[in-house]
Amino acid sequence: MTDMPHSNGADGIARDSHGGKSLLAVDARTRKRNASEARFRLLGKIAVAIGVLALVGLLASILSSGLSSFRQTYIDIEVYLDPAKLDKEGNRDRAQISKVSTFGYKPLIEQGFMEAIEKSGVSLDGISEKEVAEMLSKEAPAQVRNFVLADVERIGQTAPFEVLAGGRIDGYFKGRVTMESAERDRNVSPAQLELADRLREAGVVKVRFNWDFFTAPDASDTRPEAAGLGVAIIGSAYMMLIVLVLSLPLGVAASIYLEEFAPQNRFTDLIEVNISNLAAVPSIVFGILGLAIFINFAGLPQSAPVVGGLVLTLMTLPTIIIATRASLKSVPPSIREAALGVGASKMQTVFHHVLPLAMPGILTGTIIGLAQALGETAPLLLIGMVAFVREYPAGPPEGFFDPAAALPVQVYNWTQRGDPAFVERASGAIIVLLVFLVVMNIAAILLRRRFERRW
Amino acid sequence: MKDNIEGRKLVDQMDVKFETRDVQVFYGETHAIKDVSVDILDKTVTSFIGPSGCGKSTFLRALNRMNDTIPGCRVEGSLTLDGEDIYDPKVDPVQLRAKVGMVFQKPNPFPKSIYDNIAYGPRIHGLARNKAELDEIVEMSLRRGALWDEVKDRLQEPGTGLSGGQQQRLCIARSVATAPEVLLMDEPCSALDPIATAQVEELIDELKQNFSVVIVTHSMQQAARVSQKTAFFHLGYLVEYGDTDTIFTNPTDPRTESYITGRIG
Amino acid sequence: MTDQHHIASAFDRDLESVQAQLMKMGGLVEESIRQSAKALKTRDIELADEVRKGDRAIDTLEEQISLDCASLIARRQPAASDLRTVLTVMRISSNLERIGDYAKNIAKRTEVLAQLPPIEGAAGAVKRMAKEVQNMLSDALDAYIKRDAALADEVRHRDLEVDQMYNALFREFLTFMMEDPRNISSCMHLHFIAKNIERAGDHVTSVADQVIYLSTGEMPEDPRPKGNGAPYDIDTFQESDE
Repeated sequence: MTDMPHSNGADGIARDSHGGKSLLAVDARTRKRNASEARFRLLGKIAVAIGVLALVGLLASILSSGLSSFRQTYIDIEVYLDPAKLDKEGNRDRAQISKVSTFGYKPLIEQGFMEAIEKSGVSLDGISEKEVAEMLSKEAPAQVRNFVLADVERIGQTAPFEVLAGGRIDGYFKGRVTMESAERDRNVSPAQLELADRLREAGVVKVRFNWDFFTAPDASDTRPEAAGLGVAIIGSAYMMLIVLVLSLPLGVAASIYLEEFAPQNRFTDLIEVNISNLAAVPSIVFGILGLAIFINFAGLPQSAPVVGGLVLTLMTLPTIIIATRASLKSVPPSIREAALGVGASKMQTVFHHVLPLAMPGILTGTIIGLAQALGETAPLLLIGMVAFVREYPAGPPEGFFDPAAALPVQVYNWTQRGDPAFVERASGAIIVLLVFLVVMNIAAILLRRRFERRW
Repeated sequence: MKDNIEGRKLVDQMDVKFETRDVQVFYGETHAIKDVSVDILDKTVTSFIGPSGCGKSTFLRALNRMNDTIPGCRVEGSLTLDGEDIYDPKVDPVQLRAKVGMVFQKPNPFPKSIYDNIAYGPRIHGLARNKAELDEIVEMSLRRGALWDEVKDRLQEPGTGLSGGQQQRLCIARSVATAPEVLLMDEPCSALDPIATAQVEELIDELKQNFSVVIVTHSMQQAARVSQKTAFFHLGYLVEYGDTDTIFTNPTDPRTESYITGRIG
Repeated sequence: MTDQHHIASAFDRDLESVQAQLMKMGGLVEESIRQSAKALKTRDIELADEVRKGDRAIDTLEEQISLDCASLIARRQPAASDLRTVLTVMRISSNLERIGDYAKNIAKRTEVLAQLPPIEGAAGAVKRMAKEVQNMLSDALDAYIKRDAALADEVRHRDLEVDQMYNALFREFLTFMMEDPRNISSCMHLHFIAKNIERAGDHVTSVADQVIYLSTGEMPEDPRPKGNGAPYDIDTFQESDE
């Protein structure tokens, strides 16, 4: 051995790898391993940071442009509901009064506005009466008209109103419209903005929280200040109700059958594979399917929550089935054996023991499926939910068949419009949608905590 | 003298609880149990021993048709409980399992209260007409499970909060609650510490006064400690069945000898 | 049965070690019987003293074997043939220890007898008897090593011869004592020696019983063959009186 020329070197290597070295000295191999671990950690941190940054950026942009939609500019005026103009017959006949269009109300409101300005002592120097009148929203006459139609006996009285200011005035207070942009804008003049400033100081014009954003229906292109999410929220709520009522029992029943009762053969394997595939089908395909089956074939009305609900149910079912099956699978077999061992039938085993344990998972899956459905736009576009709907749908269940909008579609709709005020509305709607989703996810987490049990 | 012999024979026949003849169990193509014939006696602890995969658990599960739940599992041959074929098409396995209770390797109490764990079986089988009767069954079962004194003040607490040994005794009490005639135990102590094991073994010894107990165990010492009859399985065959004393001091078959002396795995 | 090895090879080593000690002990005991008989015959006080001292080694071995067996039982929980082996080793070692004690006793009496006038022919007869017991022991240990139940059974039956030799010697000593009362002291000692050898034979029979239990798992059912007409038998007395 000793006369072999390489033996020394070989021995040296052997000693290195088999110890005999101090623990206090870090060898090259360990250093290399530690370095690669440190690199990987850094990579992970960078990835997380990018994700967080993207999220923060997204939220910041939405919040910065959308939060202002929760505040709105209003003008306090008192309007004399002149019987000569509103009820020429004088018999307070609602049918007759309703024939008076918003044009009939416009002069009354303008007069009320002028009186309010006069009373506040703000001077009208350098501004025409027409320009002053234009500061009011085009929605204002409709507001007053609705008030009168609700109670015709008020005709002849003077009533206080909080009417909407025009979109540009609102935009000025929110910083969207400036003196410079007003010079170039046909719809607003700097003089109007200066008057608005003075009126605000005098307390005639004020900016307050915008409840109407949640309750009012959509509005036309020229009056973004009046547009609200009322119909969209109702439509989304109806659809979620339909999705929940249909997909939860169907999905859970299907999963229980497949997981616990179905024989294992090629047919059930095929079904399983297809359910997984279904979850990956693009949502627009479901829209086409809904259009073909529910509207063209079954003859259900367009733009109706019932159709939207059915389409979203089809979309949600695979999610619920997959989540339910996963949580059924995660119930330890020992529980099933225990139940069978004391003589419970298959059915009793499933419903007394397995299902309660799987419940948190099922609920979480359902809520996540619902949240997914809530944010879904594409299929709804195809079944006509993108229509402009100003009428509130009726209460359930008839309301399911009335035309309605949906939250994500409303967002899509508003982003299509020209007036920059709708960008603010769309961002506001996104915030509302996000809040709903966050609430639903929190509900899922809470339910999970509540029902979770150790076994 | 002749009468006496006949009398003894009669008693012997009455004592047989399970009579199995040429039992075969298949899992799909796999022949897991081959020609097993064994008589399991009443009020006796019978232990099944053998290396892993020898079929002892499979055979145990054939005795209350727990194998039915496994797809592709087929049982042939004759298995009779008190003279009735348990694989007769008219037999509902649910009814059979109420008569032949089972305790599993890992303690598996339901994630419910201790009371509900015990009361579940009697409830689904309609063994109690009212709350008082149910209470009585629960108390009796817990006493039989040697657990009453430890849990009587906390019956409404979850069964999963008990220690491992207590959980296993709870599971035994749960099986006892359905008034079975035979108790099958599939390695009931393999997840327990020695103290809990000793408590469960003590319990098994008491249970044999009322039940026929069949226990599958990997611990030969346990089989030797608790059972009166021992069956040694190897590669799906029943190699030797006899008195535990004989099996552990002077087995007939060299394979049994090799296994219990630690010469084959 | 033992052609296979244990999965735990340390178990094999422990079992082998304790049996090796037993065989060593058996060898020592055989030697000690032989030497004590020789010392008696040759009136060799020194040899007798050696035998007495040698018994200490036997006792130590016996203690060691019981300790090892206890440890084997505690640590390995032997079953079936292993269990029988351990039990047998314990019992045989205790038998051997007794036989060793008898040899020591013979040596002690030999030292006394050496001070007294010799009895013609008696020592030779006693030595023959001792030789027979020694052969039986040797065969019993052989049977143990070979797990040979047949040989062990043969050894058991040879105990009959030892009993008969003892009876014959008993009568001889009676005659000597009646002839000359001065012989009484020597004859009493010689009788005790013969009795000890007879008892040693009984222990060898017990060893053979253990060998049969070891190899068959059952103790021999027929009672140990006894020499007819033991000296306690009144009839024998009367017969020999005549």
